[in-house]
Amino acid sequence: MTEIVINDRTIDAQPGQTVLEAALANGIFVPTFCWHPKLSVAGNCRMCLVEVEGRGLDIACNMPVTKGMRVLTDSPEVKAHRKAMLQFITLNHPVDCGICDKAGECRLQDYHYAYNGEPSLSVEPKVRSTKYYNLSSRILLDNERCILCLRCTRFTHEVSKSMALGIEHRGDTSVIRPVADRPLGEDPYSDNIIDLCPVGALQSRQFLHKTRVWYLKPTPSVCPGCARGCTIQVWHRKAEWRVKALDPAQNNAIARVTPLENPAVNGPWICNKGRDLARLLERQRATEPMLRGAPTSLEGALERARELIGAARHPVALVSSWGSNEELEAFRRHLGAVFTSFVKCDAVAEPGERIEDQLLIRADKNPNTAAAEALFGRAEAQLPEGTDLVLVWGEGFDFARLPRGARVLFLNAYLQPENGHADVFLPITIHTERAGHFTNFQGVVSAFQPCFEPPRGAAHAEALFAALAAPARVHA
Amino acid sequence: MRSLIPEFEALRARFPAGFASSLVLPCLRRIQEERGYVADEDVEELAAFLGVPAIQIEEVLTFYTQFRRRPVGRWHLQLCRNVSCSMRGGERLIEHLERRLGVRPGETTADGRFTLSTVECLGSCGTAPAMMVNERYVESLSAEAVDALLEELR
Amino acid sequence: MAGRQLLMTFPVTESSHRLAEYRARGGYAAIEKALRSMRPEDVTKQVTDAGLQGRGGASFPTGRKWQVVVPGDGQPHYLIANADEGEPGTFKDRWILENAPHLLIEGMLLTAYALDARHCFIYIRGEFDLPYRRIAGAVDEAYAAGLLGERILGSDFSCDLIVYRGAGAYVAGEASGLISSLEGKKGYPRNRPPRLTVKGLYQRPTVVNNVESLSNVTVIVRDGIDAFRAVGTAKSPGTRLFSVSGHISRPGVYEVELGYPWRKFLDEDCGGVLDGRALKAVVPGGISSKILTGADIEHLTLSHESLWEANSTLGSGGMIVVAEGTCMVRLLEIMLRFYHHESCGQCTPCRHGTGWMHRIVARIAAGEGRPEDIERLYYVAKYNDGTTICGLGDAAGYAATGILDKFRDEFEYCIEHKRSRYQGRLE
Repeated sequence: MTEIVINDRTIDAQPGQTVLEAALANGIFVPTFCWHPKLSVAGNCRMCLVEVEGRGLDIACNMPVTKGMRVLTDSPEVKAHRKAMLQFITLNHPVDCGICDKAGECRLQDYHYAYNGEPSLSVEPKVRSTKYYNLSSRILLDNERCILCLRCTRFTHEVSKSMALGIEHRGDTSVIRPVADRPLGEDPYSDNIIDLCPVGALQSRQFLHKTRVWYLKPTPSVCPGCARGCTIQVWHRKAEWRVKALDPAQNNAIARVTPLENPAVNGPWICNKGRDLARLLERQRATEPMLRGAPTSLEGALERARELIGAARHPVALVSSWGSNEELEAFRRHLGAVFTSFVKCDAVAEPGERIEDQLLIRADKNPNTAAAEALFGRAEAQLPEGTDLVLVWGEGFDFARLPRGARVLFLNAYLQPENGHADVFLPITIHTERAGHFTNFQGVVSAFQPCFEPPRGAAHAEALFAALAAPARVHA
Repeated sequence: MRSLIPEFEALRARFPAGFASSLVLPCLRRIQEERGYVADEDVEELAAFLGVPAIQIEEVLTFYTQFRRRPVGRWHLQLCRNVSCSMRGGERLIEHLERRLGVRPGETTADGRFTLSTVECLGSCGTAPAMMVNERYVESLSAEAVDALLEELR
Repeated sequence: MAGRQLLMTFPVTESSHRLAEYRARGGYAAIEKALRSMRPEDVTKQVTDAGLQGRGGASFPTGRKWQVVVPGDGQPHYLIANADEGEPGTFKDRWILENAPHLLIEGMLLTAYALDARHCFIYIRGEFDLPYRRIAGAVDEAYAAGLLGERILGSDFSCDLIVYRGAGAYVAGEASGLISSLEGKKGYPRNRPPRLTVKGLYQRPTVVNNVESLSNVTVIVRDGIDAFRAVGTAKSPGTRLFSVSGHISRPGVYEVELGYPWRKFLDEDCGGVLDGRALKAVVPGGISSKILTGADIEHLTLSHESLWEANSTLGSGGMIVVAEGTCMVRLLEIMLRFYHHESCGQCTPCRHGTGWMHRIVARIAAGEGRPEDIERLYYVAKYNDGTTICGLGDAAGYAATGILDKFRDEFEYCIEHKRSRYQGRLE
């Protein structure tokens, strides 16, 4: 332990820590733009200037703690310098918050109100730069808003290792630029730089001018895109800001997805697939129970399903690797003794998708294979001759593999041609419509919360399993 | 760039192991000497040869004033406009050359003979005003000396 | 001659830079002596005790910089000669590179021996043409003569020297910016800690010394501590090369014994102000050192302590003489244009501050000044002082406040009357 004093408070710092780290770890806030705990120290924004007694001002992010040092983070000198740094940063910044997606969650805005609060001292014309630079098909760069903290360039060099970004030119005409031969578009982690950007310089095209962030709320969730199970925040419209006049589909749509920092799983990052959850999940939904394609009531469908289960002599179940821990457990409890069960791979990589890497992306594109296999084993699915009933839960099954004469119970969330071929079809909810847990490939369990009401007609699989085992009332 | 590879290999051998990245500047200087500027294909080939990220080379090319991504005229006149040269007539000399050549700094004459540029201190303050003509320093300039030089270079 | 001389001790001829003539003048005797009879730490001790101060601009004690490096600590050490002479008004290292390249090489060998550095570099600014050819030629001569390479002069000491050319960036003259550049990257200076002597080139202990400093190492080892300290003053031992330019009759490079009277130097050695005009001001050591008026320097000597008392510095030895009648607004405009042009753009205060100051002064010079402009320049300079990664932002501020402190009335006149008191005259 290294004892230091910050603002008259004695603090036990870890040897090797910087003053900034020691301050933050002890609840003393020091503003920063360029510093990020998972990136190298750039020390260029100069926002974290603090005063060290006897040594004057220096940046806290690059200052090792030394025994007995006395640091002031809010002295008049420090405050005056912070204010000046903000004067410099906004000197050529367009201050176009009114049309900036970052407004409302922008560090520069926050710090301006907290530490400056005054109009610019400058009367000089601002340095103009590129307003809409096409970094990739996903990301736009506004060089006028950029404060050159270099978080984005460091991310591509140190974390995603695509080396896609750099700084060209110098002085106040320095600009972030992508390299031509290795486009940022090939970096499956590129969108993290949008979150990393402390100002509104990097903008998601998908999210561009879609909504103001203060209309949204984040719901903690887990990305189902692969076996990593990154924790995420699914952003959607707040109940009090539900739109009536505009397209009401907005009320139940994912506005954006951001990482939910999680040291045990994904740190502060996610991949672009996770950002595109809307594309993965917001497909046309199945909402009507059916008997061989004919719509029926949920009670009628369940009744027929129970008959089939009761009559089957060799029933096989293909269990979803997208089911939550709770759903899988419900299946085991209610139907595990009835069916010979196998774990089904619901999803595989799309063409062009990165299969696997050292950072986050796993080859298994299903979120809960680990929990499913713990309950139902790792055996390859067997559908021998004589199998007379197959329960298919979720996507990914090739119906051509059905043994001749076998009856089919199909639980699926999406509208698909196979739904109508099943003897009994039951529409189910998706994971943004319910609470539950996934277990990732390392055995780490993460929770997700519901973001939206399920569509009318879709039932929770957990309740259906109970009702399939014994008559019960299911709400859908 | 390919024809320079044997030369670059020899250069690499002179540096300590692990210094490949250091070769970026000397290699770019040689490429520019040969071609007159650095082309996109040079960037790609040099990045591959040295095993450095292409973006590092792009950064270097725009950071340093001596590198060019486009050709200049046959004679590149770079006049110093810093303190000591301006105190000895450098600014008048720049205007003189603008009139004589009919171009502004940064431009090339229509016949491709001359490109006029202004630069910051060349370290020729004692022999001000000074300019670079391609790689060579020409010092203690006057309007007359410049006129004579233009004749010589035409 | 401005006192005794240590470096410019021979007549410059067509061939005086060649190895044969350097040897005939007693060259490479110091390295021979050191390899024969001195331990590395003895060399460091000599340089420390001689009181050599860096000649690049910061005047940091050379020996103290070296002491951080531990010879034989199991990792490579590097020595770099900073020949990126780019401070406006400075061209004195160019004199050594062109006329006494072996003096530098010998100094580097001695330093490399003291630091246990197997590989040395001379980082020379990219524009320099003749200086490059001269130093590169001298390195070739030294290799051919067995003065560089394996087992130098039959000793166990081996040392390689590479001449590395920059490509046009003032900021690469800052030691850490130089190292970034020598690593083949843009010349971004680095935050300290770590010091370069702990983690420098490729994260190894690295000493970056100025060309003139290293040349003095040869003199110190060759002649001994006492001989060196006998020249100059107690606080500023030795000599310094001054490059004199601007409104001066005989511009050029002069070696001056430290402690020599400044006015006498200008009037007698340099032939006085050009065309017999009155002396208005002098930039002592490159535009990053604070300007002094003619009256200020009247009783000053050319020594570190004398300049420090006058709140300025000998800096890089780039002395610019300014005659009466010169417009200081325009002069500052050019200086600030330079810093604006050369700011690397890495850290906030300098990236924006240099441009801000430049635009303000350009506007004043154009007759569009506002009363609050002077206060604003002081503001920008104040918040560039000590807040930046390297000294460029600070230096821009010193240039501005240096001139404003002494010639504020000219700026006020220009703001009030919308024109320069001296019609913008620079010549």
